[in-house]
Amino acid sequence: MTIVLIAMILALAIPIYEACQDEDVWQKMLAFSSIASKTSIMILVISVLRNDWMIGVVGVLILSVGNAALMLMAHIIKRISD
Amino acid sequence: MVDSYVYIITALLPLTAAMVVLQGNPYHALIIRGILGAVAALVYAVLGAADVALTEALVGTMLAITLYAVAVRSSLVVRLGVLQAVESQGFQAWVEGCRTVFSKHYMRLELVNYLNDEDLRQALNDKEVHAIYLPQHHTTEAVQDQALIRIPRLYEIMQAELTSPKTTLTCVTVADATEVKV
Repeated sequence: MTIVLIAMILALAIPIYEACQDEDVWQKMLAFSSIASKTSIMILVISVLRNDWMIGVVGVLILSVGNAALMLMAHIIKRISD
Repeated sequence: MVDSYVYIITALLPLTAAMVVLQGNPYHALIIRGILGAVAALVYAVLGAADVALTEALVGTMLAITLYAVAVRSSLVVRLGVLQAVESQGFQAWVEGCRTVFSKHYMRLELVNYLNDEDLRQALNDKEVHAIYLPQHHTTEAVQDQALIRIPRLYEIMQAELTSPKTTLTCVTVADATEVKV
């Protein structure tokens, strides 16, 4: 199970690198959405691994709230670029 | 006993924090701040602080970037006072040049219309605008249009990067209106 988690961390490094080097603001937003989803899925995996419901609930909340924040920010950036 | 993956996840936090610090463009920094919030929430959850992780996700990612976006949008703007009647070709080209120069410094240009010359100068004195554009009613080609700028740094940027032979740039100092009229 730890190997799965380490593979997920490696997958998380890909969008972080992408956000670091890409100049386009929308590419950065894509990388951000990828990272936000990956981190909350990782929190869920860890909660199953440790059999801890408290962390699991937090993971679900972050997964749903993260999308709302992303939509809000995309809207603001779109209005700036107009 | 601490699992080995905890060390790797914790190492992501200073990495993303360094990315925020090294980012020059304020809008890109805003997005990377969101990434930092997501990674921080993951680290807190892995270390067992579920309440801190939830607070980081709600406040750090949602509220902080929204307030930061409002702050960046309202502060990085240059207000240029112009006369309503001016529609000449040279003026349009000059404004386009200004927009290009300011966008290199991540600033926006906002035009504010005024009815006459006096209102324009008064607006500069009252610090309503950062710069004003004064067209000259010239009959010969030798007379140049004038732009008065009250922010020294703005003047330096425009003087160094704006190439327009038809417009002279002047830096003016506006006194603080500390006197209270009775």
